[in-house]
Amino acid sequence: MVDVSTPTKWLLRLVAVGYVFFLVAWPVGLVVQQTFSNGLTNLTDALSDEQVIGALQLTLMVALWAVVINLVFGVGISLLLVRFEFPGKRVLSALIDLPLSVSPVVVGLALLLVYNGRDGWIGPAAESRGLQIIFDSPGMIMATCFVALPLIIREVVPVLHEIGDDQEQAARSLGASTRQTFWRITLPSIKWAVVYGVVLSLARSLGEFGAVKIVSGNITGQTQTATLVVEAKYQNFQQETAYATSFLLIVVSIAALVVVAFLRPKRAH
Amino acid sequence: MSIDVSGVTKKFGDFVALDDVSVSLPTGQLTALLGPSGGGKSTLLRIIAGLDRADTGTVSIEGTDATRLPAQKRNVGFVFQHYAVFKHMTVAKNVAFGLEIRKRPKAEIEHRVDELLKLVHLSQFSHRLPSQLSGGQRQRMALARALAVEPKVLLLDEPFGALDAKVRKELRDWLRRLHDEVHVTTVFVTHDQEEALEVADEIVVINEGRVEQIGSPDQLYDEPANDFVMGFLGEVTQLGDIRLRPHDIEVSATPGSAGALSGRITRLLRVGFEVRLTVSTAGGEVTVVLTRTHARQLGLVEGSHVWLTAASGATTVPAMVAV
Repeated sequence: MVDVSTPTKWLLRLVAVGYVFFLVAWPVGLVVQQTFSNGLTNLTDALSDEQVIGALQLTLMVALWAVVINLVFGVGISLLLVRFEFPGKRVLSALIDLPLSVSPVVVGLALLLVYNGRDGWIGPAAESRGLQIIFDSPGMIMATCFVALPLIIREVVPVLHEIGDDQEQAARSLGASTRQTFWRITLPSIKWAVVYGVVLSLARSLGEFGAVKIVSGNITGQTQTATLVVEAKYQNFQQETAYATSFLLIVVSIAALVVVAFLRPKRAH
Repeated sequence: MSIDVSGVTKKFGDFVALDDVSVSLPTGQLTALLGPSGGGKSTLLRIIAGLDRADTGTVSIEGTDATRLPAQKRNVGFVFQHYAVFKHMTVAKNVAFGLEIRKRPKAEIEHRVDELLKLVHLSQFSHRLPSQLSGGQRQRMALARALAVEPKVLLLDEPFGALDAKVRKELRDWLRRLHDEVHVTTVFVTHDQEEALEVADEIVVINEGRVEQIGSPDQLYDEPANDFVMGFLGEVTQLGDIRLRPHDIEVSATPGSAGALSGRITRLLRVGFEVRLTVSTAGGEVTVVLTRTHARQLGLVEGSHVWLTAASGATTVPAMVAV
Protein backbone atom coordinates (compact mmCIF):
# COMPACT_ATOMS: atom_id res chain seq x y z
CA MET A 1 0.00 0.00 0.00
CA VAL A 2 1.14 3.49 -0.77
CA ASP A 3 1.18 5.62 2.33
CA VAL A 4 -0.93 8.74 1.79
CA SER A 5 -2.30 11.22 4.26
CA THR A 6 -5.94 11.06 5.27
CA PRO A 7 -7.08 14.28 3.49
CA THR A 8 -5.49 13.03 0.24
CA LYS A 9 -7.30 9.71 0.64
CA TRP A 10 -10.61 11.47 1.03
CA LEU A 11 -9.93 13.74 -1.92
CA LEU A 12 -9.06 10.78 -4.16
CA ARG A 13 -12.23 8.97 -3.09
CA LEU A 14 -14.32 12.06 -3.73
CA VAL A 15 -12.86 12.50 -7.21
CA ALA A 16 -13.38 8.83 -8.13
CA VAL A 17 -16.91 8.64 -6.78
CA GLY A 18 -17.81 12.01 -8.28
CA TYR A 19 -16.49 11.01 -11.68
CA VAL A 20 -18.49 7.77 -11.79
CA PHE A 21 -21.57 9.49 -10.37
CA PHE A 22 -21.72 12.28 -12.96
CA LEU A 23 -20.74 10.05 -15.87
CA VAL A 24 -22.68 6.86 -15.13
CA ALA A 25 -24.89 6.76 -12.07
CA TRP A 26 -26.79 10.02 -12.49
CA PRO A 27 -27.60 9.69 -16.21
CA VAL A 28 -28.65 6.06 -15.84
CA GLY A 29 -30.62 6.94 -12.73
CA LEU A 30 -32.47 9.67 -14.62
CA VAL A 31 -33.44 7.22 -17.36
CA VAL A 32 -34.89 4.93 -14.70
CA GLN A 33 -36.64 7.88 -13.04
CA GLN A 34 -38.12 9.01 -16.37
CA THR A 35 -39.32 5.47 -17.06
CA PHE A 36 -41.33 5.45 -13.85
CA SER A 37 -42.41 9.14 -13.95
CA ASN A 38 -46.00 8.03 -14.61
CA GLY A 39 -45.86 4.91 -12.50
CA LEU A 40 -45.85 1.78 -14.60
CA THR A 41 -47.72 3.39 -17.52
CA ASN A 42 -44.62 4.10 -19.63
CA LEU A 43 -43.43 0.55 -19.27
CA THR A 44 -46.82 -1.05 -20.03
CA ASP A 45 -47.32 1.36 -22.96
CA ALA A 46 -43.94 0.40 -24.38
CA LEU A 47 -44.60 -3.28 -23.90
CA SER A 48 -47.90 -3.01 -25.76
CA ASP A 49 -46.30 -1.14 -28.67
CA GLU A 50 -45.84 -3.66 -31.50
CA GLN A 51 -42.87 -1.74 -32.82
CA VAL A 52 -41.08 -2.11 -29.47
CA ILE A 53 -42.03 -5.76 -29.02
CA GLY A 54 -40.90 -6.60 -32.57
CA ALA A 55 -37.63 -4.75 -32.00
CA LEU A 56 -36.98 -6.56 -28.72
CA GLN A 57 -37.63 -9.93 -30.35
CA LEU A 58 -35.39 -9.04 -33.27
CA THR A 59 -32.64 -7.84 -30.91
CA LEU A 60 -32.81 -11.07 -28.96
CA MET A 61 -32.73 -13.19 -32.11
CA VAL A 62 -29.78 -11.29 -33.60
CA ALA A 63 -27.86 -11.30 -30.31
CA LEU A 64 -28.38 -15.01 -29.70
CA TRP A 65 -27.25 -15.96 -33.19
CA ALA A 66 -24.23 -13.70 -32.91
CA VAL A 67 -23.29 -15.19 -29.54
CA VAL A 68 -23.67 -18.77 -30.76
CA ILE A 69 -21.58 -18.09 -33.88
CA ASN A 70 -18.93 -16.22 -31.90
CA LEU A 71 -18.89 -19.01 -29.32
CA VAL A 72 -18.03 -21.66 -31.91
CA PHE A 73 -15.53 -19.53 -33.83
CA GLY A 74 -14.18 -17.86 -30.69
CA VAL A 75 -13.26 -21.14 -28.98
CA GLY A 76 -11.94 -22.54 -32.26
CA ILE A 77 -9.77 -19.51 -33.02
CA SER A 78 -8.52 -19.43 -29.42
CA LEU A 79 -7.35 -23.05 -29.69
CA LEU A 80 -5.73 -22.26 -33.02
CA LEU A 81 -3.90 -19.24 -31.59
CA VAL A 82 -2.64 -20.99 -28.46
CA ARG A 83 -2.03 -24.60 -29.50
CA PHE A 84 -0.72 -24.27 -33.05
CA GLU A 85 2.11 -22.50 -34.80
CA PHE A 86 1.46 -21.24 -38.31
CA PRO A 87 2.60 -18.41 -40.54
CA GLY A 88 0.43 -15.31 -40.16
CA LYS A 89 -0.53 -16.11 -36.58
CA ARG A 90 0.40 -12.64 -35.31
CA VAL A 91 -1.53 -11.00 -38.11
CA LEU A 92 -4.60 -13.08 -37.19
CA SER A 93 -4.19 -12.13 -33.55
CA ALA A 94 -3.98 -8.44 -34.45
CA LEU A 95 -7.00 -8.67 -36.77
CA ILE A 96 -9.08 -10.13 -33.96
CA ASP A 97 -8.52 -6.98 -31.90
CA LEU A 98 -9.55 -4.76 -34.80
CA PRO A 99 -13.27 -4.66 -33.88
CA LEU A 100 -12.28 -3.09 -30.54
CA SER A 101 -10.58 -0.16 -32.24
CA VAL A 102 -12.66 0.38 -35.38
CA SER A 103 -15.87 2.38 -35.05
CA PRO A 104 -18.97 0.18 -35.50
CA VAL A 105 -20.25 2.62 -38.13
CA VAL A 106 -17.18 1.87 -40.23
CA VAL A 107 -17.82 -1.85 -39.72
CA GLY A 108 -21.37 -1.38 -40.99
CA LEU A 109 -20.19 0.52 -44.06
CA ALA A 110 -17.55 -2.09 -44.84
CA LEU A 111 -20.08 -4.93 -44.66
CA LEU A 112 -22.46 -2.90 -46.81
CA LEU A 113 -19.78 -2.57 -49.48
CA VAL A 114 -19.02 -6.28 -49.59
CA TYR A 115 -22.48 -7.82 -49.23
CA ASN A 116 -24.90 -5.30 -50.79
CA GLY A 117 -27.30 -6.66 -53.39
CA ARG A 118 -26.40 -4.33 -56.28
CA ASP A 119 -22.66 -4.69 -56.86
CA GLY A 120 -19.82 -6.88 -55.57
CA TRP A 121 -19.69 -10.66 -55.99
CA ILE A 122 -21.37 -12.08 -52.96
CA GLY A 123 -24.43 -9.87 -52.43
CA PRO A 124 -26.07 -10.22 -55.87
CA ALA A 125 -25.26 -13.93 -56.04
CA ALA A 126 -26.87 -14.52 -52.65
CA GLU A 127 -29.89 -12.40 -53.52
CA SER A 128 -30.48 -14.26 -56.78
CA ARG A 129 -30.74 -17.40 -54.63
CA GLY A 130 -33.26 -15.68 -52.37
CA LEU A 131 -30.93 -14.80 -49.51
CA GLN A 132 -30.99 -11.15 -48.60
CA ILE A 133 -27.96 -10.20 -46.52
CA ILE A 134 -27.97 -6.42 -46.28
CA PHE A 135 -31.14 -4.74 -44.93
CA ASP A 136 -32.10 -8.05 -43.36
CA SER A 137 -31.17 -10.20 -40.36
CA PRO A 138 -28.13 -12.03 -41.88
CA GLY A 139 -26.34 -8.69 -42.28
CA MET A 140 -27.37 -7.59 -38.81
CA ILE A 141 -26.07 -10.85 -37.31
CA MET A 142 -22.80 -10.42 -39.23
CA ALA A 143 -22.36 -6.86 -37.99
CA THR A 144 -23.05 -7.94 -34.41
CA CYS A 145 -20.64 -10.89 -34.71
CA PHE A 146 -17.96 -8.52 -35.96
CA VAL A 147 -18.18 -6.09 -33.07
CA ALA A 148 -18.39 -8.84 -30.42
CA LEU A 149 -15.73 -11.09 -31.97
CA PRO A 150 -12.78 -10.37 -29.62
CA LEU A 151 -14.70 -10.76 -26.36
CA ILE A 152 -14.76 -14.57 -26.09
CA ILE A 153 -11.29 -14.98 -27.61
CA ARG A 154 -9.70 -12.49 -25.22
CA GLU A 155 -11.21 -14.36 -22.27
CA VAL A 156 -10.31 -17.87 -23.42
CA VAL A 157 -6.77 -17.34 -24.79
CA PRO A 158 -5.08 -16.45 -21.46
CA VAL A 159 -6.76 -19.38 -19.70
CA LEU A 160 -5.61 -21.78 -22.42
CA HIS A 161 -2.08 -20.42 -22.02
CA GLU A 162 -2.28 -20.85 -18.27
CA ILE A 163 -3.49 -24.46 -18.21
CA GLY A 164 -0.90 -25.51 -20.82
CA ASP A 165 -1.27 -28.66 -22.89
CA ASP A 166 -0.06 -31.20 -20.31
CA GLN A 167 -3.56 -32.42 -19.54
CA GLU A 168 -4.40 -32.73 -23.23
CA GLN A 169 -1.25 -34.74 -23.86
CA ALA A 170 -2.05 -36.98 -20.90
CA ALA A 171 -5.53 -37.57 -22.33
CA ARG A 172 -4.07 -38.45 -25.73
CA SER A 173 -1.62 -40.91 -24.19
CA LEU A 174 -4.56 -42.53 -22.37
CA GLY A 175 -6.26 -43.17 -25.69
CA ALA A 176 -8.56 -40.16 -26.11
CA SER A 177 -9.14 -38.87 -29.65
CA THR A 178 -8.91 -35.17 -30.49
CA ARG A 179 -12.68 -34.89 -30.09
CA GLN A 180 -12.80 -36.71 -26.77
CA THR A 181 -9.87 -34.66 -25.50
CA PHE A 182 -11.68 -31.44 -26.37
CA TRP A 183 -15.02 -32.35 -24.78
CA ARG A 184 -13.65 -34.11 -21.70
CA ILE A 185 -10.49 -32.15 -20.89
CA THR A 186 -10.09 -28.83 -22.72
CA LEU A 187 -13.67 -27.54 -22.55
CA PRO A 188 -14.19 -28.27 -18.83
CA SER A 189 -10.89 -26.48 -18.10
CA ILE A 190 -11.88 -23.30 -19.95
CA LYS A 191 -15.57 -23.49 -19.02
CA TRP A 192 -15.69 -20.39 -16.84
CA ALA A 193 -13.72 -18.27 -19.27
CA VAL A 194 -16.16 -19.29 -22.01
CA VAL A 195 -19.18 -18.47 -19.87
CA TYR A 196 -17.68 -15.11 -18.95
CA GLY A 197 -16.94 -14.36 -22.59
CA VAL A 198 -20.47 -15.37 -23.61
CA VAL A 199 -22.02 -13.04 -21.04
CA LEU A 200 -19.87 -10.14 -22.20
CA SER A 201 -20.65 -10.91 -25.85
CA LEU A 202 -24.35 -11.06 -25.11
CA ALA A 203 -24.31 -7.69 -23.37
CA ARG A 204 -22.29 -6.17 -26.21
CA SER A 205 -24.54 -7.71 -28.88
CA LEU A 206 -27.76 -6.48 -27.28
CA GLY A 207 -26.43 -2.93 -27.13
CA GLU A 208 -24.95 -2.72 -30.64
CA PHE A 209 -26.15 0.34 -32.53
CA GLY A 210 -23.88 1.87 -35.20
CA ALA A 211 -22.99 -1.13 -37.33
CA VAL A 212 -26.50 -2.57 -37.14
CA LYS A 213 -28.09 0.78 -38.04
CA ILE A 214 -26.19 0.89 -41.33
CA VAL A 215 -26.58 -2.72 -42.47
CA SER A 216 -30.20 -3.00 -41.34
CA GLY A 217 -31.40 0.06 -43.21
CA ASN A 218 -33.37 0.88 -40.04
CA ILE A 219 -36.71 -0.15 -41.57
CA THR A 220 -39.47 0.55 -39.04
CA GLY A 221 -41.22 -2.61 -37.86
CA GLN A 222 -38.87 -4.86 -39.84
CA THR A 223 -35.19 -4.38 -39.18
CA GLN A 224 -35.25 -2.10 -36.15
CA THR A 225 -33.49 -3.47 -33.08
CA ALA A 226 -34.14 -2.18 -29.56
CA THR A 227 -31.41 0.44 -29.71
CA LEU A 228 -32.68 1.70 -33.05
CA VAL A 229 -36.21 1.92 -31.66
CA VAL A 230 -34.94 4.00 -28.76
CA GLU A 231 -33.45 6.49 -31.20
CA ALA A 232 -36.51 6.51 -33.47
CA LYS A 233 -38.98 6.94 -30.60
CA TYR A 234 -36.91 9.70 -29.07
CA GLN A 235 -36.81 11.63 -32.35
CA ASN A 236 -40.56 11.08 -32.78
CA PHE A 237 -41.27 12.88 -29.51
CA GLN A 238 -42.25 9.59 -27.83
CA GLN A 239 -39.65 10.05 -25.11
CA GLU A 240 -41.56 7.93 -22.57
CA THR A 241 -41.37 4.86 -24.80
CA ALA A 242 -37.70 5.60 -25.51
CA TYR A 243 -36.97 5.74 -21.78
CA ALA A 244 -38.91 2.56 -21.08
CA THR A 245 -37.08 0.65 -23.81
CA SER A 246 -33.76 2.02 -22.55
CA PHE A 247 -34.72 0.85 -19.09
CA LEU A 248 -35.26 -2.69 -20.39
CA LEU A 249 -31.79 -2.64 -21.99
CA ILE A 250 -30.28 -1.39 -18.73
CA VAL A 251 -31.97 -4.23 -16.81
CA VAL A 252 -30.46 -6.82 -19.17
CA SER A 253 -26.99 -5.23 -18.84
CA ILE A 254 -27.18 -5.18 -15.07
CA ALA A 255 -28.35 -8.80 -15.08
CA ALA A 256 -25.32 -9.68 -17.21
CA LEU A 257 -23.00 -7.82 -14.81
CA VAL A 258 -24.51 -9.66 -11.85
CA VAL A 259 -23.94 -13.00 -13.58
CA VAL A 260 -20.33 -12.01 -14.28
CA ALA A 261 -19.83 -10.92 -10.68
CA PHE A 262 -20.99 -14.36 -9.54
CA LEU A 263 -18.67 -16.11 -11.97
CA ARG A 264 -15.57 -14.09 -11.23
CA PRO A 265 -14.52 -15.75 -7.94
CA LYS A 266 -14.98 -19.20 -9.49
CA ARG A 267 -12.49 -18.33 -12.21
CA ALA A 268 -9.84 -17.83 -9.55
CA HIS A 269 -9.59 -21.61 -8.99
CA MET B 1 12.79 -56.51 -27.25
CA SER B 2 9.89 -54.43 -26.12
CA ILE B 3 10.89 -51.08 -27.57
CA ASP B 4 13.15 -50.73 -30.58
CA VAL B 5 14.30 -47.28 -31.57
CA SER B 6 16.49 -47.13 -34.62
CA GLY B 7 18.18 -44.23 -36.35
CA VAL B 8 16.01 -41.56 -34.74
CA THR B 9 16.94 -37.95 -35.42
CA LYS B 10 14.98 -34.96 -34.16
CA LYS B 11 15.71 -31.29 -34.69
CA PHE B 12 14.03 -28.24 -33.20
CA GLY B 13 15.02 -25.54 -35.65
CA ASP B 14 18.82 -25.57 -35.67
CA PHE B 15 19.07 -27.47 -32.40
CA VAL B 16 19.74 -31.20 -32.81
CA ALA B 17 17.91 -32.86 -29.91
CA LEU B 18 18.57 -36.43 -31.07
CA ASP B 19 21.27 -37.44 -33.54
CA ASP B 20 20.80 -40.88 -35.12
CA VAL B 21 19.86 -42.63 -31.87
CA SER B 22 19.32 -46.40 -31.77
CA VAL B 23 18.28 -48.17 -28.57
CA SER B 24 16.63 -51.50 -27.77
CA LEU B 25 14.87 -51.75 -24.45
CA PRO B 26 14.15 -55.24 -23.12
CA THR B 27 10.70 -56.42 -22.02
CA GLY B 28 9.76 -56.32 -18.37
CA GLN B 29 12.71 -54.25 -17.22
CA LEU B 30 13.06 -50.91 -15.57
CA THR B 31 15.29 -48.75 -17.74
CA ALA B 32 16.59 -45.28 -16.96
CA LEU B 33 17.42 -42.69 -19.60
CA LEU B 34 20.10 -40.72 -17.83
CA GLY B 35 21.81 -37.56 -18.91
CA PRO B 36 22.19 -33.84 -18.34
CA SER B 37 19.29 -31.44 -18.97
CA GLY B 38 18.82 -30.61 -22.63
CA GLY B 39 20.63 -33.79 -23.69
CA GLY B 40 17.64 -35.21 -25.55
CA LYS B 41 16.43 -37.90 -23.16
CA SER B 42 12.93 -36.44 -22.68
CA THR B 43 12.62 -35.95 -26.43
CA LEU B 44 13.43 -39.64 -26.95
CA LEU B 45 10.78 -40.62 -24.40
CA ARG B 46 8.18 -38.36 -26.03
CA ILE B 47 8.98 -39.85 -29.43
CA ILE B 48 8.47 -43.36 -28.03
CA ALA B 49 5.11 -42.19 -26.61
CA GLY B 50 4.08 -40.50 -29.86
CA LEU B 51 3.82 -37.07 -28.24
CA ASP B 52 6.60 -35.85 -30.54
CA ARG B 53 7.42 -37.14 -33.99
CA ALA B 54 10.94 -38.07 -35.12
CA ASP B 55 12.30 -36.37 -38.26
CA THR B 56 13.85 -39.68 -39.39
CA GLY B 57 14.11 -43.17 -37.96
CA THR B 58 11.63 -45.73 -36.67
CA VAL B 59 10.09 -46.76 -33.37
CA SER B 60 8.57 -50.16 -32.80
CA ILE B 61 6.74 -51.24 -29.67
CA GLU B 62 6.41 -54.97 -28.98
CA GLY B 63 7.13 -55.82 -32.58
CA THR B 64 4.62 -53.45 -34.21
CA ASP B 65 5.90 -50.44 -36.11
CA ALA B 66 4.65 -47.41 -34.19
CA THR B 67 6.55 -44.71 -36.09
CA ARG B 68 3.40 -43.21 -37.65
CA LEU B 69 0.93 -44.26 -34.97
CA PRO B 70 -0.66 -41.35 -33.06
CA ALA B 71 -0.16 -41.28 -29.28
CA GLN B 72 -3.69 -42.48 -28.48
CA LYS B 73 -3.21 -45.71 -30.45
CA ARG B 74 0.16 -46.76 -29.00
CA ASN B 75 -1.17 -48.04 -25.69
CA VAL B 76 1.65 -46.59 -23.66
CA GLY B 77 1.26 -45.10 -20.21
CA PHE B 78 2.91 -41.71 -19.80
CA VAL B 79 3.66 -39.94 -16.53
CA PHE B 80 4.61 -36.26 -16.71
CA GLN B 81 7.03 -34.35 -14.53
CA HIS B 82 4.33 -31.90 -13.47
CA TYR B 83 1.72 -34.67 -13.04
CA ALA B 84 -0.71 -33.35 -15.71
CA VAL B 85 -3.64 -34.26 -13.48
CA PHE B 86 -7.14 -33.57 -14.77
CA LYS B 87 -7.92 -30.75 -12.38
CA HIS B 88 -11.69 -30.84 -12.76
CA MET B 89 -12.01 -34.57 -12.00
CA THR B 90 -11.83 -36.48 -8.73
CA VAL B 91 -8.96 -38.88 -8.10
CA ALA B 92 -11.16 -41.86 -9.00
CA LYS B 93 -12.34 -40.17 -12.21
CA ASN B 94 -8.76 -39.38 -13.17
CA VAL B 95 -7.77 -43.01 -12.82
CA ALA B 96 -10.91 -44.16 -14.64
CA PHE B 97 -10.34 -41.83 -17.62
CA GLY B 98 -8.53 -44.27 -19.91
CA LEU B 99 -11.04 -47.02 -19.16
CA GLU B 100 -14.02 -44.75 -19.80
CA ILE B 101 -12.50 -43.75 -23.14
CA ARG B 102 -12.28 -47.46 -23.93
CA LYS B 103 -15.96 -47.81 -22.96
CA ARG B 104 -15.40 -50.63 -20.50
CA PRO B 105 -18.41 -51.74 -18.43
CA LYS B 106 -19.06 -49.62 -15.33
CA ALA B 107 -18.59 -52.41 -12.82
CA GLU B 108 -15.25 -53.37 -14.33
CA ILE B 109 -14.03 -49.75 -14.24
CA GLU B 110 -15.05 -49.39 -10.61
CA HIS B 111 -13.31 -52.59 -9.64
CA ARG B 112 -10.12 -51.71 -11.51
CA VAL B 113 -10.00 -48.16 -10.09
CA ASP B 114 -10.38 -49.57 -6.56
CA GLU B 115 -7.59 -52.02 -7.18
CA LEU B 116 -5.24 -49.36 -8.59
CA LEU B 117 -5.93 -46.84 -5.84
CA LYS B 118 -5.10 -49.55 -3.33
CA LEU B 119 -1.86 -50.23 -5.22
CA VAL B 120 -0.79 -46.58 -5.00
CA HIS B 121 -2.13 -46.16 -1.45
CA LEU B 122 -4.73 -43.53 -2.33
CA SER B 123 -7.95 -45.45 -1.59
CA GLN B 124 -9.12 -43.00 1.07
CA PHE B 125 -8.65 -40.05 -1.32
CA SER B 126 -10.75 -41.38 -4.20
CA HIS B 127 -13.39 -38.62 -3.93
CA ARG B 128 -10.97 -35.72 -3.51
CA LEU B 129 -9.91 -33.31 -6.21
CA PRO B 130 -6.23 -33.34 -7.25
CA SER B 131 -5.81 -29.84 -5.79
CA GLN B 132 -6.36 -31.38 -2.34
CA LEU B 133 -3.43 -33.79 -2.73
CA SER B 134 0.28 -33.30 -2.10
CA GLY B 135 2.78 -33.48 -4.96
CA GLY B 136 3.80 -37.06 -4.16
CA GLN B 137 0.16 -38.15 -3.97
CA ARG B 138 -0.63 -36.48 -7.28
CA GLN B 139 2.22 -38.28 -8.95
CA ARG B 140 1.08 -41.63 -7.52
CA MET B 141 -2.40 -40.87 -8.87
CA ALA B 142 -0.91 -40.06 -12.28
CA LEU B 143 0.90 -43.39 -12.17
CA ALA B 144 -2.31 -45.27 -11.33
CA ARG B 145 -4.04 -43.43 -14.19
CA ALA B 146 -1.32 -44.53 -16.61
CA LEU B 147 -1.40 -48.13 -15.35
CA ALA B 148 -5.22 -48.34 -15.59
CA VAL B 149 -5.19 -48.95 -19.34
CA GLU B 150 -2.73 -51.85 -18.93
CA PRO B 151 -0.13 -50.24 -21.18
CA LYS B 152 2.47 -52.27 -23.02
CA VAL B 153 5.10 -49.89 -21.74
CA LEU B 154 5.10 -47.30 -18.99
CA LEU B 155 7.05 -44.09 -19.69
CA LEU B 156 7.92 -41.63 -16.94
CA ASP B 157 9.38 -38.22 -17.75
CA GLU B 158 11.40 -37.01 -14.75
CA PRO B 159 8.58 -38.32 -12.56
CA PHE B 160 10.05 -37.15 -9.26
CA GLY B 161 11.78 -34.01 -10.52
CA ALA B 162 9.23 -31.62 -9.04
CA LEU B 163 9.18 -33.22 -5.58
CA ASP B 164 11.29 -32.44 -2.54
CA ALA B 165 14.28 -34.64 -1.72
CA LYS B 166 12.65 -36.77 0.97
CA VAL B 167 9.49 -37.57 -1.00
CA ARG B 168 11.62 -38.19 -4.07
CA LYS B 169 13.60 -40.85 -2.24
CA GLU B 170 10.46 -42.52 -0.88
CA LEU B 171 8.79 -42.61 -4.28
CA ARG B 172 11.95 -43.92 -5.88
CA ASP B 173 11.99 -46.97 -3.56
CA TRP B 174 8.27 -47.35 -4.03
CA LEU B 175 8.57 -47.28 -7.83
CA ARG B 176 11.15 -50.07 -7.67
CA ARG B 177 8.85 -52.21 -5.48
CA LEU B 178 5.86 -51.39 -7.68
CA HIS B 179 7.77 -52.47 -10.77
CA ASP B 180 8.69 -55.77 -9.09
CA GLU B 181 4.95 -56.28 -8.47
CA VAL B 182 3.52 -55.13 -11.79
CA HIS B 183 6.33 -56.11 -14.20
CA VAL B 184 5.37 -53.71 -16.95
CA THR B 185 8.24 -52.59 -19.18
CA THR B 186 9.15 -49.22 -17.72
CA VAL B 187 11.36 -46.42 -19.00
CA PHE B 188 12.03 -43.36 -16.93
CA VAL B 189 13.96 -40.20 -17.64
CA THR B 190 16.17 -38.69 -14.97
CA HIS B 191 19.14 -36.40 -14.64
CA ASP B 192 19.91 -37.74 -11.16
CA GLN B 193 22.59 -40.45 -11.42
CA GLU B 194 21.87 -41.68 -7.90
CA GLU B 195 18.23 -42.24 -8.82
CA ALA B 196 19.21 -44.16 -11.96
CA LEU B 197 21.85 -46.27 -10.19
CA GLU B 198 19.49 -47.14 -7.37
CA VAL B 199 16.31 -47.96 -9.28
CA ALA B 200 17.13 -49.09 -12.80
CA ASP B 201 17.95 -52.56 -14.17
CA GLU B 202 19.55 -50.91 -17.14
CA ILE B 203 20.76 -47.39 -17.81
CA VAL B 204 21.04 -45.59 -21.14
CA VAL B 205 23.32 -42.57 -20.85
CA ILE B 206 22.36 -39.84 -23.30
CA ASN B 207 24.30 -36.65 -23.89
CA GLU B 208 24.04 -34.01 -26.61
CA GLY B 209 21.57 -36.11 -28.59
CA ARG B 210 23.72 -39.25 -28.64
CA VAL B 211 23.78 -42.49 -26.67
CA GLU B 212 27.04 -42.57 -24.72
CA GLN B 213 26.64 -46.01 -23.17
CA ILE B 214 24.06 -48.68 -22.37
CA GLY B 215 24.49 -51.10 -19.51
CA SER B 216 23.60 -52.21 -16.02
CA PRO B 217 24.34 -49.79 -13.17
CA ASP B 218 27.39 -51.89 -12.19
CA GLN B 219 28.72 -52.00 -15.74
CA LEU B 220 28.37 -48.27 -16.11
CA TYR B 221 29.98 -47.52 -12.82
CA ASP B 222 32.82 -50.04 -13.15
CA GLU B 223 33.46 -49.88 -16.88
CA PRO B 224 32.49 -46.45 -18.11
CA ALA B 225 32.86 -46.27 -21.90
CA ASN B 226 34.31 -42.79 -21.82
CA ASP B 227 35.19 -39.78 -19.81
CA PHE B 228 31.68 -38.32 -19.98
CA VAL B 229 29.96 -41.42 -18.53
CA MET B 230 32.57 -41.68 -15.81
CA GLY B 231 32.17 -38.03 -14.91
CA PHE B 232 28.39 -38.13 -14.99
CA LEU B 233 27.99 -41.16 -12.74
CA GLY B 234 30.13 -39.86 -9.92
CA GLU B 235 32.92 -37.59 -8.81
CA VAL B 236 36.14 -37.81 -10.85
CA THR B 237 39.63 -36.49 -10.30
CA GLN B 238 42.80 -36.59 -12.35
CA LEU B 239 45.95 -38.31 -11.11
CA GLY B 240 48.85 -37.95 -13.55
CA ASP B 241 47.51 -39.05 -16.92
CA ILE B 242 44.53 -41.06 -15.73
CA ARG B 243 41.11 -40.08 -14.41
CA LEU B 244 39.57 -41.99 -11.53
CA ARG B 245 37.24 -41.66 -8.54
CA PRO B 246 38.62 -39.71 -5.55
CA HIS B 247 38.01 -42.68 -3.21
CA ASP B 248 40.12 -44.96 -5.46
CA ILE B 249 43.33 -43.12 -4.63
CA GLU B 250 45.65 -44.57 -2.00
CA VAL B 251 47.41 -42.12 0.22
CA SER B 252 50.74 -42.81 1.83
CA ALA B 253 52.74 -40.64 4.18
CA THR B 254 56.03 -42.14 2.97
CA PRO B 255 57.45 -42.43 -0.59
CA GLY B 256 57.00 -46.23 -0.63
CA SER B 257 55.56 -47.51 -3.89
CA ALA B 258 56.96 -46.98 -7.36
CA GLY B 259 55.22 -44.43 -9.59
CA ALA B 260 53.64 -42.61 -6.67
CA LEU B 261 52.90 -38.94 -7.24
CA SER B 262 54.04 -36.64 -4.49
CA GLY B 263 52.21 -33.58 -3.34
CA ARG B 264 51.23 -31.37 -0.45
CA ILE B 265 47.79 -31.22 1.20
CA THR B 266 46.46 -27.71 0.63
CA ARG B 267 42.99 -28.28 2.05
CA LEU B 268 41.46 -30.82 4.41
CA LEU B 269 37.70 -30.95 4.88
CA ARG B 270 35.82 -33.28 7.19
CA VAL B 271 32.27 -34.18 6.17
CA GLY B 272 30.79 -36.74 8.55
CA PHE B 273 32.70 -40.00 8.20
CA GLU B 274 34.58 -38.67 5.17
CA VAL B 275 37.72 -36.63 4.83
CA ARG B 276 38.22 -34.77 1.55
CA LEU B 277 41.74 -33.74 0.67
CA THR B 278 42.90 -31.33 -1.96
CA VAL B 279 46.47 -32.29 -2.84
CA SER B 280 48.64 -30.00 -4.90
CA THR B 281 50.95 -32.04 -7.17
CA ALA B 282 53.22 -31.29 -10.10
CA GLY B 283 50.36 -32.31 -12.44
CA GLY B 284 47.76 -30.04 -10.81
CA GLU B 285 45.30 -30.41 -7.95
CA VAL B 286 44.00 -33.87 -7.05
CA THR B 287 40.91 -34.55 -4.94
CA VAL B 288 41.12 -37.54 -2.60
CA VAL B 289 38.41 -39.00 -0.38
CA LEU B 290 39.17 -41.34 2.50
CA THR B 291 37.51 -42.34 5.73
CA ARG B 292 38.06 -40.34 8.85
CA THR B 293 39.67 -43.28 10.62
CA HIS B 294 42.10 -43.84 7.77
CA ALA B 295 43.08 -40.18 7.69
CA ARG B 296 43.70 -40.25 11.44
CA GLN B 297 45.87 -43.37 11.11
CA LEU B 298 48.03 -41.58 8.56
CA GLY B 299 48.18 -38.47 10.72
CA LEU B 300 47.16 -36.18 7.87
CA VAL B 301 46.93 -32.42 8.44
CA GLU B 302 46.96 -29.44 6.13
CA GLY B 303 50.47 -28.97 4.78
CA SER B 304 51.50 -32.68 5.11
CA HIS B 305 53.53 -34.21 2.34
CA VAL B 306 51.81 -37.27 0.78
CA TRP B 307 52.36 -39.80 -2.01
CA LEU B 308 49.39 -40.81 -4.16
CA THR B 309 48.81 -43.99 -6.19
CA ALA B 310 45.74 -45.44 -7.92
CA ALA B 311 44.27 -48.28 -5.85
CA SER B 312 44.55 -51.69 -7.50
CA GLY B 313 41.31 -52.58 -9.29
CA ALA B 314 40.26 -48.91 -9.52
CA THR B 315 38.10 -47.83 -12.44
CA THR B 316 40.20 -45.53 -14.58
CA VAL B 317 39.98 -43.86 -17.96
CA PRO B 318 42.80 -42.07 -19.79
CA ALA B 319 42.62 -38.33 -19.23
CA MET B 320 41.41 -36.31 -22.22
CA VAL B 321 44.16 -34.33 -23.83
CA ALA B 322 43.56 -30.68 -23.14
CA VAL B 323 43.06 -28.81 -26.39
